[in-house]
Amino acid sequence: MAISTATKAATDALAANRAPVSVNAQEVHRWLQSFTWDFEKNRTKYPTKYKMANDTKEQFKLIAKEYARMESVKDERQFGSLQDVLARVDAAKRVHPKWNETMKVVSNFLEVGEYNAIAATGMLWDSATAPEQKNGYLAQTLDEIRHTNQCGYVNYYFSKNGQDPAGHNDARRTRTIGPLWKGMKRVFSDGFISGDAVECSINLQLVGEACFTNPLIVAVTEWAAANGDEITPTVFLSIETDELRHMANGYQTVVSIANDEAASKYLNTDLNNAFWTQQKYFTPVLGMAFEYGSHFKVEPWVKTWNRWVYEDWGGIWIGRLGKYGVQSPASLRDAKKDAYWAHHDLFLIAYALWPTGFFRLTLPTAEEAEWFEFNYPGWHEHYGKIYEEWRARGCEDPNSGFIPLMWFIENNHPIYIDRVSQVPFCPSLCKGASTLRVHELNGKKHSFSDDWGERMWLTEPERYECQNIFEQYEGRELSDVIAELHGVRSDGKTLIAQPHTDKDGKLWTLDDIKKLNCVFADPLKSL
Amino acid sequence: MSKSSNAYGAGIMAKTGKEFSDEYFAEENQVFHESNEVVLVLKKSDEINVIVDEYLLGDHVDDNQTLVVEDRAGYWWLKATGKIEVDCAEVAEILGKSFSVYDFLVDVSSTIGRAYTLGDTFTITSELMGLDTKLKDLQS
Repeated sequence: MAISTATKAATDALAANRAPVSVNAQEVHRWLQSFTWDFEKNRTKYPTKYKMANDTKEQFKLIAKEYARMESVKDERQFGSLQDVLARVDAAKRVHPKWNETMKVVSNFLEVGEYNAIAATGMLWDSATAPEQKNGYLAQTLDEIRHTNQCGYVNYYFSKNGQDPAGHNDARRTRTIGPLWKGMKRVFSDGFISGDAVECSINLQLVGEACFTNPLIVAVTEWAAANGDEITPTVFLSIETDELRHMANGYQTVVSIANDEAASKYLNTDLNNAFWTQQKYFTPVLGMAFEYGSHFKVEPWVKTWNRWVYEDWGGIWIGRLGKYGVQSPASLRDAKKDAYWAHHDLFLIAYALWPTGFFRLTLPTAEEAEWFEFNYPGWHEHYGKIYEEWRARGCEDPNSGFIPLMWFIENNHPIYIDRVSQVPFCPSLCKGASTLRVHELNGKKHSFSDDWGERMWLTEPERYECQNIFEQYEGRELSDVIAELHGVRSDGKTLIAQPHTDKDGKLWTLDDIKKLNCVFADPLKSL
Repeated sequence: MSKSSNAYGAGIMAKTGKEFSDEYFAEENQVFHESNEVVLVLKKSDEINVIVDEYLLGDHVDDNQTLVVEDRAGYWWLKATGKIEVDCAEVAEILGKSFSVYDFLVDVSSTIGRAYTLGDTFTITSELMGLDTKLKDLQS
């Protein structure tokens, strides 16, 4: 076939001057710097009280081509494993039933964090003025889209291939019933996308990602593997391969403001608020998921927390920045107390409120109770005896007419919701760092569990107006709320949530709950 | 189990029960202590397993004798004092195929410390890159 004159000219020119077959990606990155883009005078829709430097670097020298190639290789490996060998060996059915329930929560809630991180990093892209810093944030925006899909896929995979799909298959509509949801929205949504842009980066990247993704996305894979789950390590360790760039983005955010006078005025307060905001939810929820949502234990949660949060994040990230004026968060002492006890406090309440979940919970077995007492001396006297009483009253059996929430009411142990974190707490029972304090503003009462949240609320009360579940459902009967929010299985009457994972145990229905006549009441009204 | 202070179960982690809680709640442990260590989490894969066995614990085992590598189910957990470096050009020789730093990043799951790439080299260091030490661009 004849070729055009233009094509022939181009072919001849290339024959005389060969184009390079390939260019090293880092050479391309260097070449891109010569464009000298100037964003310094750009206006942003998302201003910050800090001044971000205009020469901040991106540590991995990403270019679009290599970024896309890396991510496609990750996806090929992950989906290849899931759809080939893991499907063939029936991996989803080999997962311990307790852990299957845990992943209903972990993957679905992480999906929300990833989704909000898309917006957060888009905002940071708009705020930054250094071209390389923008490049790092932009890649992160793309990463977060990938992660959102990956988390959704984990629940999809479990529901399609695994056991007890209820909860995996419709978590997006049933997750809002219970008290864990709004706290998760506080850390994973409000904390990432509301307020000052740099403060959001500190929440998302410096604390959320550099600190808490290590237990949430790395250590969780060890617990998963110990409980027969090969799906979660396959996906979550792939997610985490992007997180190291996000941690670097967070560090470079600090680098970009290190020479700004505002940093010395605001950074330690913002860091303390972000640390407390993130730990207030992650510390008890992850500890509860690991220890109470598994059959085979890897190590006590407090050790996991001590390693990843205290020693490594605290020492290697924050400790090293000490000479730049960055201090240990003032809330660390309370956070450490929470890491030891707060997940035990939370499970007590979570189990008492089990009908509002989208997953099944189980009481610790005798063997597990021994493990708890060995690792947390005093556990049995404080918590174990309560579980023994609940079990003796038949809390797992719908014929008993007993859910543990009734025990809280009978024994005058009111449950409150912390206004700032939305985490429930019972002041008369908790061994973590929570104590009750109440403020009134414009005729409305607000409960708080700690100095740090209380201080944040006193500074910006308008920021924390979210209704808690007792206000939202006040006066409503429990089974009505569950039915309205789709907390039932495909037969239309059996609850998704159950207080056991025994395949031979009886399942609770809406009628069983209705018989109890549990009506939501706001405990603050009786103060 | 390794006796190195960098081991996964070193120090307070080796303690249990009251002995653990006494140290955990001790007054001196209510603030962060600056650490010169770095942590690297490598997702297990065909290439990463070779890098761990034949590069880090093989030809380069003497590069940093504080390096500890532990098997944590789906990933390798590495901790060292100072820095950990991987020259991907050398890894390519071992693997017998093209292998860039971007190929390496496919399976790097987490970093605690300042990680960066320059040419064919991946580095994670306790240095404060961008603050104490300038991040370099590739030289022509």
